[in-house]
Amino acid sequence: MTLPSIDAHTRRGYLKRLVAVGGTAALAACVELSPGDEAVPTGDPTNRPASQHAWNDVLRSDADGNLLAPEHHILLPLELEGEPDERSREQVEQTFRSLERAYEFSPDGVLFTVNYSPAYFEAIGESPPIPRPEPLTSIEGNIDLDDADVLIHLASDSPQVVLEAEEALLGNEPEPNGVEMEAALTDIFAPGDPRRTGFVGEGLPVEMAREEGIDLPEELHEDAPFLMGFRSGFAEAQAPESRVTIDDGPYEGGSTMHIESLELNLRQWFEQDDHFLRVAQMFSPEHAQEELVGEIGERLDQSTGVFGDIADRTADDARTEGLVGHAQKAARARDEDGTPPLLRRDFNTLDGGSAGVHFLSHQRTIADFVRVREAMAGEDLSLGRRLNNGILQYIFVRSRGNYLTPPRSLRALPTESA
Amino acid sequence: MNDDNPSNDGEPTIEHTNSPLSRRALLGASAAATISLAGCLSDEADEADDGGTTDDDAADDGGPEETQSFDELPVVEDPPDKVYKPTHREPFVHLEMVEAGEYMLLPHFTYPHQFWLMSGAEAVEERPTVEDSMHLMVAFWDSETGAILPVDAGAEMVITQDGEQVGEPVAPWPMLAQEMGFHFGDNVAVPDDGTYTVELTMNPIGVRKTGAFEGRFEETVNATFELEYSDQQRQELLANTEFLDEDEWGEPGALEPTDHGDHDHDEHESDDHGGHGDDSHEHGDDDSHEHSDEDGHEHGNDDGHGSHDIPSPSLPPAEEYPGQDLGTHTSGDAAFVVRYLEGTRLADEGENYLLVSPRTPHNRFPLPDMSLSVDGDVEAELVQTLDSDQGHHYGASVTLEPGDEFDLIVESPPQVARHQGYETAFIEMPPMTVEVPDE
Repeated sequence: MTLPSIDAHTRRGYLKRLVAVGGTAALAACVELSPGDEAVPTGDPTNRPASQHAWNDVLRSDADGNLLAPEHHILLPLELEGEPDERSREQVEQTFRSLERAYEFSPDGVLFTVNYSPAYFEAIGESPPIPRPEPLTSIEGNIDLDDADVLIHLASDSPQVVLEAEEALLGNEPEPNGVEMEAALTDIFAPGDPRRTGFVGEGLPVEMAREEGIDLPEELHEDAPFLMGFRSGFAEAQAPESRVTIDDGPYEGGSTMHIESLELNLRQWFEQDDHFLRVAQMFSPEHAQEELVGEIGERLDQSTGVFGDIADRTADDARTEGLVGHAQKAARARDEDGTPPLLRRDFNTLDGGSAGVHFLSHQRTIADFVRVREAMAGEDLSLGRRLNNGILQYIFVRSRGNYLTPPRSLRALPTESA
Repeated sequence: MNDDNPSNDGEPTIEHTNSPLSRRALLGASAAATISLAGCLSDEADEADDGGTTDDDAADDGGPEETQSFDELPVVEDPPDKVYKPTHREPFVHLEMVEAGEYMLLPHFTYPHQFWLMSGAEAVEERPTVEDSMHLMVAFWDSETGAILPVDAGAEMVITQDGEQVGEPVAPWPMLAQEMGFHFGDNVAVPDDGTYTVELTMNPIGVRKTGAFEGRFEETVNATFELEYSDQQRQELLANTEFLDEDEWGEPGALEPTDHGDHDHDEHESDDHGGHGDDSHEHGDDDSHEHSDEDGHEHGNDDGHGSHDIPSPSLPPAEEYPGQDLGTHTSGDAAFVVRYLEGTRLADEGENYLLVSPRTPHNRFPLPDMSLSVDGDVEAELVQTLDSDQGHHYGASVTLEPGDEFDLIVESPPQVARHQGYETAFIEMPPMTVEVPDE
């Protein structure tokens, strides 16, 4: 893929595009663009949480106290090439530790998880601890199913860091952030398919959508952090890390990960629907009628307000309002005490030139994800499959993948027989 | 290079180049020529119609999108709260029928135009943008029985050209139009004149299916069709829009559905339906029906009209429904055929069945995506159902006694999107009282 032209983009957009392109040339262009930036803090591998997915303590928060994801993301698929023996395991672990030395464990450095698919476990002759992915609703019969052995999720506020970290893992950057890599994944893993990237944060979607020539209505606020225009990740609507941590068995302390990659139709969403309809379909008809949300969700502080009455009314709203909201439907799958089962770390994407979302979610079991996703699909409701059924009119699932996110101690070629 | 000859064959007889500016110039000139012939003049068309073209002319012209658009077609001011006749009938371009799994699909398109989306009890007008190229529609039916399946199965379309995706994927809206009944469609934009491929995915139908439909329509199926889009053709479609007599505009009533059943290829359709506008072989100025491969208007099997007949989009009249007649009621200008069926497989074990078939008042098109219930001497939520014998209806297992009375309640009106003429009806729908005769 050729490098984007710097003249055609704002600086931030340009950096975004470099992440999307990837590779050593993109990394070089990135470095060239930001000479003299503040030094990236280095890290300490001995001071890390036991769970790979435990990022919350180092994430920034917004003014309401909701945690903010890092801005730039890469999902790097890898195929197992070498033998998963002790020597390889050691090499892989040293690679990850080197990365942890090179960058601070924070959005200013790099946050990463190493995740293993059912294909990996089958390749090493073990019974996978997570199921193979499959279509979960009736409007996704054609989806691709992830089958790379490993997926590394890299995230940082700095596009340069996330690119450099990826290159370091692949053996193409021997001194990321000036710190020597003791090992790389070369010969054990080879890059797989598809590489995915994305971004999330205030203002980024507007910026990127403009670059892509997506028409924006005046109603879409400059500061919206997601392509569909609303804040997301409210504290009350996110599982605490403990809720998504495996609490027994060989992978205790780990989690599972599901990635649903989808394309969006923003034209219908923004040009045909009006703000009232967008609020109603993203949250609930009551949210629209009572004006609970504001332009981008600024009226919501830490809670979406769907759990309880509004979620309980979903089937009724389908009949009497002829329309239901996305959050309203999904909240039906919360625990009885209102705890959501999913820890969502989703982000926007323009991979392939198409507006989309890589919906990445951690949960204790894949069955938790399936349950929430079925509630969100609302196929039990007296509504069409897409029409007025939350945001299903505007999203198109393209692929799914299931992964184990082992605890940090088992992140290098895990095996039950260790 | 412009060909002034008015009896051109619809193709611009001008050299094509790859430069966008000169393509715009070509379109501006040929569109202007066509429009002036049809007698629908705008100032810009007058200026550009000088028999020749230069780049400067085209730049002044502002491009074909601004020369003539659906916005200039007259609308009915203040339509009644009923099904009403619009000012005009839209000409369609029919594409080849495509068989996909258990479905037969008929894609077609016309110029971009407004439609109304329903959100609860509110109709929201959707006007096309200047980028929109066409209003693309797909009618579909069961290829085995010809039954119409007027429900939202969450279909999806992706437009491609030379293997590259063009624009975003789109879930077309389930819609109702007087000319054609239930279909799904949307205004879509393509960047340029050319040939495009549309990949259509039909998803399983989740609505309750009974009789021979049980277990059918459960697969995801894919179909592709090609369409040739040209701005000139869009202009021609606009220019060929057939208007009703002005004293009919806004009158309660409906355009007659386009009649495909008796259509014979080698003849021009009679004036039953007002002539050229609804001719399924729209050729703009061309009066002779040429069915070559190039223009894509080929009808697959035009001999015995066997399984490739286009079925009627209308439901049977009330008299044809079985069971005890509990009347045909009206609410929000829709007609509700109400029947009580005993000993029917549609009902739960040991119960009988209340069948309600709502339809448009003039063309008897089904009205999907409503929420209906009954309350009174019997209480039940009606379930939208596709039955192989009774077709689309809403039903519930109930047991009624002579003398029973209940209200048939519309909890939410049909959420299906509406073409002009249907956007003021089926919105306010008060309950209807149904009485079971005493005897």
